[in-house]
This record gives sequence, C-alpha cells and structure tokens, in this order.
Amino acid sequence: MSVSSPSKIALGLGLGLFLAACGGSDHQSDQPKTDTLAVDTTPKETELLNVGGRIFSIPSPVQTALAMRKAGLKYQKELTAPLENAEAAVNKTAQSTLLGILGADLAYATVHKDGQRAMATMQAIEKVGNKLELTNSFDRALLDRFKSNLGSEDSLLQFSGVAFRAADKYLKQNQRHDVSALVLAGGWIESLYLTVSDPAAAGDQTIVNRIGEQKNALNALVELVQASDADGGAEKVVVGLKELQSLFDKVTSTYTYQEPVTDAGKKTTFINSTSSVTIAADQLKAIVAKVTDIRNMMLA
Amino acid sequence: MRRTLLILSLSASIAGSAQEMCGTIADRCEQHITKQYIPDGQFYRALLQGDEMAEFNLTLFGGTTYRVAACSGDADGILVFNVVDKDGNVLFSNKDQGNAPYWDLAVTNTIDVKMEAALDPTKAGSGCAVMLIGFKK
Repeated sequence: MSVSSPSKIALGLGLGLFLAACGGSDHQSDQPKTDTLAVDTTPKETELLNVGGRIFSIPSPVQTALAMRKAGLKYQKELTAPLENAEAAVNKTAQSTLLGILGADLAYATVHKDGQRAMATMQAIEKVGNKLELTNSFDRALLDRFKSNLGSEDSLLQFSGVAFRAADKYLKQNQRHDVSALVLAGGWIESLYLTVSDPAAAGDQTIVNRIGEQKNALNALVELVQASDADGGAEKVVVGLKELQSLFDKVTSTYTYQEPVTDAGKKTTFINSTSSVTIAADQLKAIVAKVTDIRNMMLA
Repeated sequence: MRRTLLILSLSASIAGSAQEMCGTIADRCEQHITKQYIPDGQFYRALLQGDEMAEFNLTLFGGTTYRVAACSGDADGILVFNVVDKDGNVLFSNKDQGNAPYWDLAVTNTIDVKMEAALDPTKAGSGCAVMLIGFKK
C-alpha cells in the first residue's frame, strides 16, 4: 500500500508540527468524517506504519500445502525442519526465518493429517515465538486449543492462520518489520522447498505451474526483506533471494482478460481470466537447487 | 537538541495513537473473515488522508475462493477497494456494491492482481485502512 515517498518523512514531521502549532486541524470540520484521527497535520504517518511506504503480500504456506495434497504429492515428514532448531536458533534472523519455516511445516503436517507432528511443530513454534517475544500470539492457550482439536484439520488451519496473523499484526504495530518480513520469507521458502523436493513435482504440470506462479511473490519478498533490513542482519537472506529472483526472471507467463461475473446475492465475483506460465526443465532444476541452498542457509 | 527531542517525542506519540487506532479497526475487520475461511496470516494496513490510495500486489491462485475484508473508521462501508488485473482492468470494486466491507473472489486461474484501497471521501477525510484476506480450502 504505497502512499508517499520516505523522503517526505522529515518534511511531514516539520509540517505536522507547524500545522499543529497553528491549530491546523480546523480543516477537519469541513466535511463529515467518521474517523477521528487528525492526520491533516501528520502527512508522514503512512511511512511510520509501513516499510518504505509500501505493503506486500506473500502467499500463505497453507495454500501451497493444500495444492501439494491436491496434486497427490507424497507426504514426507523427513523433509520438515528439525524441531531441535527451536532451541538452537540464537539470533533474530535465524529465529524469525525459523518461525516462518515451522509455520509452513505445521501447515504441511496438518493437511496431511499427521497430528503428532503438527502438535510437536506447534510446540516448537511456541518456543521460537517466546524468543521473539510473541507470547501474545503463540501461547499455552493456543497449544491447548490445538491439542483438543487435533482431529479437525479445518480448526487447526484456522487456529494457525489466526495466530500468525496476530503475530504479524503485533510485529507491525511495534515497528518490528524486519522480523515480520523474515517470518514471511521463511514460510515462503519452506513451502517451495517442500514442493520442489518431491521428485514427482517436476512431472506434475499443476505443481510446475504453481512454482512458476511464485515469481511475483518472490519479487515482493525481495523488496520487503531488503527494505526492512535496517541493521543488515538479513543480508545473506537478501543475497540468496536475489539469486533465486534472477532464476525466476526466466519464467515467462501469459494472461488473457475475461469478463468477471458478479453474484451480488452471494457477495461473490467469479474471476474467469486465464493465465499460463512456462518454465524450462533446466530452469526448474536450477530453482530447486537454489531454494534448497537458501533453506539450508536459514536452518544453519 | 531540544527541538530534535520534541520532534522525536511527537512522532512517537503520533505513531502510538495511529497503531492503537489501526488495532481497533483490525479487531472489527477480523469478524468478516469468518470460520469458513483460513486467514492468510498477514495484516495489511496504511494510514490514508484525502484522496490517497493504498495499493499492493498479490497473486490469487486458481481454484481458490478468497474473502477480502476492508475496514476503516468506526463503521463498515468507509473503505473503497478495487481489484485490478495486470492490464488495468477492474475485476471488482466494492463501490459498485454499496462499499461492501467484505467480498468473495472465486478465482478460476491463477492471476496477479493489484489491490487498491481508498477512503470514501463522503465518509472520511483521513484514517487507518485495514485489509484482511482469507481463503477457503
């Protein structure tokens, strides 16, 4: 969500102070407003709330896990991250990416109905969440709810989605954009790793397409991690993602617009446009290798 | 030095109140992502004023029904949002549906879209825009 350039921050601060001192908020009464924030005097607040004035969206690991199951890819528990890493991760970058990785593993185990692994993964998430001071999102109550609903895939996916959204909200509210970005990066890489690590994936066109369709998400991720990495702690992650980005640059796509259909009664719009991606076998091989490298680096 | 401290103090105070306001709006907006939908795990927000438009890109995967919730202020219907494809075609606008606070998008094929959000100028001149996304299995 982009709104204005970061260079306006200083100007905005000065202008805000000036207008506030002059009682500049009178303009508010000129039109009906239900929102009470007096931002007439604070044109820089957008930057205070966003990374470089931009907002990014990264696909949910749950969607990727569901796509893998739908394609019939085999569940391979041994591909998931070692849970001991929850103890071993010592710095902010390692902890943040691990939290994302575990989130993707949790979705993977849940959609494949491995309740035992899902529970163990949730416990590891709680540990890492504690290290990152996210106890408001991943707490004992969540673990208890998770445990008592192990038989309900829908409930587990709902709980984890709500918990990760709460964590993202908390991190953004507290200006910890770097942690938020790295959690998303870890989750995205792990989802891709689980997908490409199945030898059958290369032969399944639906899955190959799904891999190629990650191109725009990767572009957003690179920008997000880079923009939020104020202390340089995520430099290796940025380098790895950029190398992966250069491989994805060779993925081509087509798009054809079709008129959408809206059913107002059901509050639903059916989007019927078509698209396709093309990804050569050698490109896919290179992507698989790079994703594995980045994932291993995150877990090292 | 004193001036710098004043600026820092004021900006921190402004940010704090803005965060609080966004949090309250988010709590209300979460009610629109009902239990049939799995939250995508992200929280999208920006402060807007006047005719500013917030936007972000996202990939909608084929075979999925998404729920998009858009909130601002203290009531539904204040935030206008559009879903625009890569060629600039508007695939959906809640403005055509009475500024509906949420809508479902049933996606046949994977597409990259841009989500745009702006305040309805007849209802608000400034405020925190919150968008949330969920999807059905």
